[in-house]
Amino acid sequence: MTFPGRDVPEVDALVTDRYLDALLASGELAHAGDPAGRDGGGTRGGRSTGRGAGWGSDLVSGLVSGRGGPALDEAVRLASARLTRDLPRFHPSFRFEERLAVRLAEAAAAMRLPAAAGAEGSVTVIPIYPPGLPDGFDPLAEDPDPDADDIAVLASRPLLIRGAVAASAISLAGAAWVAWRRSRGSSPIGRAARAVHALRGRPV
Amino acid sequence: MARPVFWRSGAAEDAVPRIAHLDRDRPLVEAARRDPERFEALYRRYLAPLYSYAYYELGDHHAAEDATERTFLAALANLHRFDERARPADGEGASTFKVWLFRIARNVVANERRTARRHPAAVLDDATAAIVADPLDVEGDAVRRDEAAAAWRAVGRLPGDRRRAVVLRFVDELSTAEIAGVLGRSEGAVRVLIHRALRTVARDLRGRDGGR
Repeated sequence: MTFPGRDVPEVDALVTDRYLDALLASGELAHAGDPAGRDGGGTRGGRSTGRGAGWGSDLVSGLVSGRGGPALDEAVRLASARLTRDLPRFHPSFRFEERLAVRLAEAAAAMRLPAAAGAEGSVTVIPIYPPGLPDGFDPLAEDPDPDADDIAVLASRPLLIRGAVAASAISLAGAAWVAWRRSRGSSPIGRAARAVHALRGRPV
Repeated sequence: MARPVFWRSGAAEDAVPRIAHLDRDRPLVEAARRDPERFEALYRRYLAPLYSYAYYELGDHHAAEDATERTFLAALANLHRFDERARPADGEGASTFKVWLFRIARNVVANERRTARRHPAAVLDDATAAIVADPLDVEGDAVRRDEAAAAWRAVGRLPGDRRRAVVLRFVDELSTAEIAGVLGRSEGAVRVLIHRALRTVARDLRGRDGGR
């Protein structure tokens, strides 16, 4: 493996990058050499990134041995194995997951109603962010130095709901819903009773 | 981040180049654009990775929940601003939506860090509880917890973008190209960041282990 036109740090970084691709693809910590002398199958062994495990294993072997090009730095290899094993994924609590799902559904419903009614025109601003974000905060803005200590001037980012006729749109949607419900009957029991009544009128 | 938007595919269609979109989240994103309530599928897919990223950065479960909530609400509200830009080099599984989402998370988390002045290394020790205990190997379990805590501390001590790059690479398993998109750097710069971060972590761990 050769990397013409690249200087040494770049080549080392590229070798490391390919090694990590292969390591994460194969999920074979045993191949990477567990520094503590244990076998493979660490915290997340076997996780796949979508590439073939065989491809990963072969490339790991080649990079570690240095066959056909620069070899992987031993310290980098051991550190990679440690981090692959010791950095787990975390999942939030089920309660939080469902609470946020409900919150998102409410926000989505608020966005959908005026749009469904075809409303256009002026903008109604409804703040949807939880309190705590400073004024002027734009989550999509470039942040050149996230670790900078200077506190940016931030503002809450609103949800924009277009529609000068938002209120009437909601009324129209409500009327349509009531009409639909009436056409469907009042309840499953009511529908069943009507079905039985209709059957009784038929000749056997 | 200037990137080519489309990929031409299919030799037979050379006369009329076909435009292939590479973002694997594209169907879900389009559905959510048509009907915001369909955003839930994207939310379920990326909740854990985003939460993990926020937790590693903030080192506190409550702060991570706040950042995760803000990120998803911001993404939903700004979905119309999302611009799909995937490249053939990013591979078939590439998702620019994922990059966009992590960029939002990065900004939200950066804001949180500024205001809260938390440092991950100080509180990540709590996370050793994530290691599954083995009742038959108490001593080995203690060693594993100790080693995991050391690794987390070493990562927590890394400077900003090196730490973020390592977490995105090892925890969220983003590709170098995707990390470059999230951090707003070139792929070469991200490769060097991660390589140097690993050397630093190796030195840190070697010092702690007394050169074992």
